[in-house]
Amino acid sequence: MLSSRLISRAARPAFQKSTLPVVVSAPALSRWSRGYSSASEEKDLVIIGGGVAGYVAAIKAGQEGMKVTCIEKRGTLGGTCLNVGCIPSKSLLNNSHLYHQILHDTKKRGIEVGEVKLNLANFMKAKDDAVSGLTKGVEFLLKKNGVEYIKGTGTFVDEHEIKIALNDGGETSVRGKNILIATGSEATPFPGLEIDEKRVITSTGAIALEEIPKTMTVIGGGIIGLEMASVWSRLGTKVTVVEFLGQIGGPGMDTEIAKATQKLLKKQGMDFKLNTKVVSGDKSGELVTLAVDAAKGGKPETIESDVVLVAIGRRPYTGGLGIENIGMELDDRGRVIIDSEYRTKIPHIRCVGDVTFGPMLAHKAEEEAVAVVEYIKKGYGHVNYGVIPSVMYTFPEVAWVGQTEQDLKKENIPYRIGTFPFSANSRAKTNLDTDGMVKMIADPETDRLLGVHIIGPNAGEMIAEGALALEYGASTEDIARTCHAHPTLAEAFKEAAMATHSKAIHF
Amino acid sequence: MFSATRALRQAAVHAERTPLIKFIGPRTIPANIDHTPKPHPASPTGSLPEDFTLYGSGSASSKHTSFSSYRDHAQQHGPLQKTIRLDGGIGGASGSSLGPVSAPHGTAFDVSELPARFRRAALSAAEIEAIESGGAALVG
Repeated sequence: MLSSRLISRAARPAFQKSTLPVVVSAPALSRWSRGYSSASEEKDLVIIGGGVAGYVAAIKAGQEGMKVTCIEKRGTLGGTCLNVGCIPSKSLLNNSHLYHQILHDTKKRGIEVGEVKLNLANFMKAKDDAVSGLTKGVEFLLKKNGVEYIKGTGTFVDEHEIKIALNDGGETSVRGKNILIATGSEATPFPGLEIDEKRVITSTGAIALEEIPKTMTVIGGGIIGLEMASVWSRLGTKVTVVEFLGQIGGPGMDTEIAKATQKLLKKQGMDFKLNTKVVSGDKSGELVTLAVDAAKGGKPETIESDVVLVAIGRRPYTGGLGIENIGMELDDRGRVIIDSEYRTKIPHIRCVGDVTFGPMLAHKAEEEAVAVVEYIKKGYGHVNYGVIPSVMYTFPEVAWVGQTEQDLKKENIPYRIGTFPFSANSRAKTNLDTDGMVKMIADPETDRLLGVHIIGPNAGEMIAEGALALEYGASTEDIARTCHAHPTLAEAFKEAAMATHSKAIHF
Repeated sequence: MFSATRALRQAAVHAERTPLIKFIGPRTIPANIDHTPKPHPASPTGSLPEDFTLYGSGSASSKHTSFSSYRDHAQQHGPLQKTIRLDGGIGGASGSSLGPVSAPHGTAFDVSELPARFRRAALSAAEIEAIESGGAALVG
């Protein structure tokens, strides 16, 4: 019935083109368009960013029964950590350590190995498999918790509406009662040295090099720089680390531990230039050239290498977010300004993770993600910024939590120290991994634990005990009187506690 | 009350030292929480910007020296800024800046491009049938 009408319309005689009036195109009509409040359902929480902060908040909010949308532009969830940071680098660190150990550390263990060859393509594939497995796992968790996941770039239209340029083309928008900014961070570029991720690389390029460079210079001796330096050094690259400060590991690492770490890494073949400033870089030649200067007036020098890794830190990422559309300002370092409940100056817009205050660590972002959802839902959350552990996954690992000796000295706070070397620990001895020590810092009067610093095998796992003790406000005697299994590396932790409040038994 | 730890507490009675760690029971949310904005513990300045708490309060207008300045920052179903892009929706630009509403000479709008409420009411299938059959469909 309807078709007969259509046919009869189509059969009408056509107008002469010249007599036809000009028809206004559809885009010109858009000025009359208006956003109806009913255009899209209002969500309880819209999260911009599907990194560790964003996806954890999404899952938590889903668990709390909220209607949640998570917007991520990378195309995979997990952010820097899962895709190009913590996770892929741990795969490379673990496998390069195995390779290095097979090459250099088997004879004394009574294992004779034949020809050992590295297949870099498969080495990278193992990393990619770990990453894709984990990112897909996160996507499943979002689905399981009823989170709407949109792949695209979110931009604030107003204080409640986010416009999303979809990765597959097209556009959509979502409205949120609450909005969470969790856009993370990006590597800070080095001025005057263009990143191409082939010869001048950030950590993103460092986990995806297609061949093993002969030489590599690392600008910045912090955690990221030293982890990547370790990977390529173990695979045969001659690595030089240039650090502006007087110690490696960044400002958070205890000076005594930093010195011990540098010594051990030097023994593994890495070169260090501390108190050295990179003045300029040039990649026009076959090798990348860096002009360096001693930080406190010294002889200028040039360093040439196949690859330069820029690891001078990370900066908050708010690109394309359109914060100017909602009148939000950033602080002098590009961070979103928040209060103690993660609210921005527009209270229903909150912010967590690398893009705001605090250390740029995935586990700190996770804690904040859970806390911010609890603040929205229950009005109460908890993150203890005094107890956020740091781990550097070199070999041996370095880990710390709480206050450093230099901090306490600077603030004239009295303290007592106890240390225990892994060379006196039975498990470390049997493993033939005896480098390193546990250092504990406590209040001399109350014996309350103030900080734990570990360099040694399994330090990254062991630091959890330190974090727990600090969170509970334990004394070193509490730790020392807690039974630890024998023989374990954790006994070194207990013995360091004994050394702090009294005396260690085995040293 | 916490039977699981009774044995431990009984043991502690006879212990010569009291651990610093004390079991205080399950976590409870305080009945009264002060939600007024306070600086974030990791804030490098340890303070909030002056205008941080003005949002939504009557005092929001106090930071503006003129009505025009207030209106530039005000929100009503979306931002009212004058500088907003044309595709910013209603209120995104002043009416006069959009030009006359009537079509220029020789220009017409196709009815199909107008919002549905400006178009003719759609014919129902029964109505079409009735027209095409000269009314016979209504009888038959």
